[in-house]
Amino acid sequence: MQPLATFGTRPGLPWARLGFFTLVLAYAVLVLACLLTLLAAGDLSWGRAPWQNLLKTVSEFAQPSFLDLWWGPERLEYRSDDGTLLRVENRQQVEAQFLAGLGRATWTTFQIATLGSLLAAVMALPLGLLAARNLNAPAWASRTASTLLDTLRAVHTLVFGLVLVGIVGLGPTAGILAISLHSTGTYGKLYAESLETLDMAAVDAVRATGASPSQVFFSAVWPSVLPQFVSNHLYVWEFNIRDSTILGLIGAGGLGLLISEAVSLFQWSRLATVILVVIALVMAFDALSRRIRKALL
Amino acid sequence: MSAVNTPLPEAVFDVRDLRLEIKGRCLLDVPSLTVWQGERVALIGPNGAGKSSLLKVLGGFAGASQGRVTVLGREVTGAGPNAMDAAQWRALHAEIGQVRQGLHLVSRLSALENVALGALARPGAIPLWRSWLRCYPESLLREARQALADLGLEDRMDMRADRLSGGQRQKVSLARLRLQRPKLLLADEPTSALDPAAALQACDALAALADDATLLTVVHDTELLPRLADRVIGLKEGRLVFDVPLQTLSPDLLKNLYETGDPADGCPCNPRTNLPLALPLRPRGFPASADRCTA
Repeated sequence: MQPLATFGTRPGLPWARLGFFTLVLAYAVLVLACLLTLLAAGDLSWGRAPWQNLLKTVSEFAQPSFLDLWWGPERLEYRSDDGTLLRVENRQQVEAQFLAGLGRATWTTFQIATLGSLLAAVMALPLGLLAARNLNAPAWASRTASTLLDTLRAVHTLVFGLVLVGIVGLGPTAGILAISLHSTGTYGKLYAESLETLDMAAVDAVRATGASPSQVFFSAVWPSVLPQFVSNHLYVWEFNIRDSTILGLIGAGGLGLLISEAVSLFQWSRLATVILVVIALVMAFDALSRRIRKALL
Repeated sequence: MSAVNTPLPEAVFDVRDLRLEIKGRCLLDVPSLTVWQGERVALIGPNGAGKSSLLKVLGGFAGASQGRVTVLGREVTGAGPNAMDAAQWRALHAEIGQVRQGLHLVSRLSALENVALGALARPGAIPLWRSWLRCYPESLLREARQALADLGLEDRMDMRADRLSGGQRQKVSLARLRLQRPKLLLADEPTSALDPAAALQACDALAALADDATLLTVVHDTELLPRLADRVIGLKEGRLVFDVPLQTLSPDLLKNLYETGDPADGCPCNPRTNLPLALPLRPRGFPASADRCTA
């Protein structure tokens, strides 16, 4: 076995290591700066009774409201402090109504994510083709496309949503457009990266047979990148299902509306139900898309 | 062989006063070189002699710094108003079949589809919309199947190109050439990725393809010369050292070609294994090569 390289035995190497060491040092300084400034301002506190609150939250989350469908009291009596009967409700019935609403909201969320993703996938296609460095698009077009993609990716879906609610009004349309604008940036980048990993030698080999540019594209480029494009699409779609659950917070419809309602009324058990639905939705979609991706690649 | 039979041979390519310089280094300096229709020509020479560069210039994939190169009646070195436009280049490339060092197939397409790609630019072989949808006419597919079957790949037709072995991939690319029906074949070390048995098969397939075409091959393994060439051109440092019929190729010529003052440069080694090349170099008066390679 050869002895490990030490400083001075191989010229050049220590300097490379020194460079990396400096980078690590800079990172450490940055982390410390973040931590220490927060500490100095006294903003790094755990609140007054963290353990107590944690236990309370956990116990409420442990009884998600949908259980009431079976075990909820059929006569829940609301009384004022002096014992007067204010209202009687059938918890099972109320919960059934809530769950029906939850189902509709879930569908809305899914609609927003699906249509928004598809719109983004289509809009990003020309931009991704232009931005890919190996396809030799004109420099100005390539630069414009990648700047546009970076800008779209930099603005969060929620910010787009807030702006769009002001333009097209409350409802799923704003959500769809918000998702699609932000995701166009993501798709374009992923498309461009898939294109850049293309085996250009194979493309050149087809070009060398005298095929026209459109033939080269459809015979060599498209079949190579299509599986990756589909895989990217499934990935961003899944991401958007998660993202669109939040969009309801700003009035774009869907599960987010129920989340914000539950939070503002401190109905943690209902929040737990909604979150369970989100988790189930995302996990189911993830399992499905993973299978499709595996079959494709 | 066929050059003799052809009553009025036609120049397939013609090189006049070609110079190719990159960053002040002269890669090629060829005052005159003509290859006639039907000839089978091998280019040999040490690494860095300019063999691949010459092939690139002929295929139009590299320009020339000076001089005139005419390929299949078209002047590929034309500049300014004489420069060829994209359509002319495509028409030329359709007539030139290329075999490159790597085995470049579209990895996600089946062997059969890769073969069919060869006919993309053949006039009338496939309507444009069909080529976009990769929905090839039955006649074309039959031709592709036949081409693969002739190379012993009947049972690999529907296999994806990236699942084929190196030898199979090379055969697929040769079958693709057959569908292209080129007039000139430019092969750059067609056997570099193959084991000896596969190399022989590939050479024979290439030679068979060249029956009605002109073949120009860069050869590293001089053992393969008789299968691929009847005319041998030696290149060294960008210059033509000799241009002789295969029969008159002597060990002395080879020795001169591969011998240089710089041991690292001229060693006739297999570039991948760094072992000296076998017959006929070593036994016939080139004993020093083994020492040089290991040095």
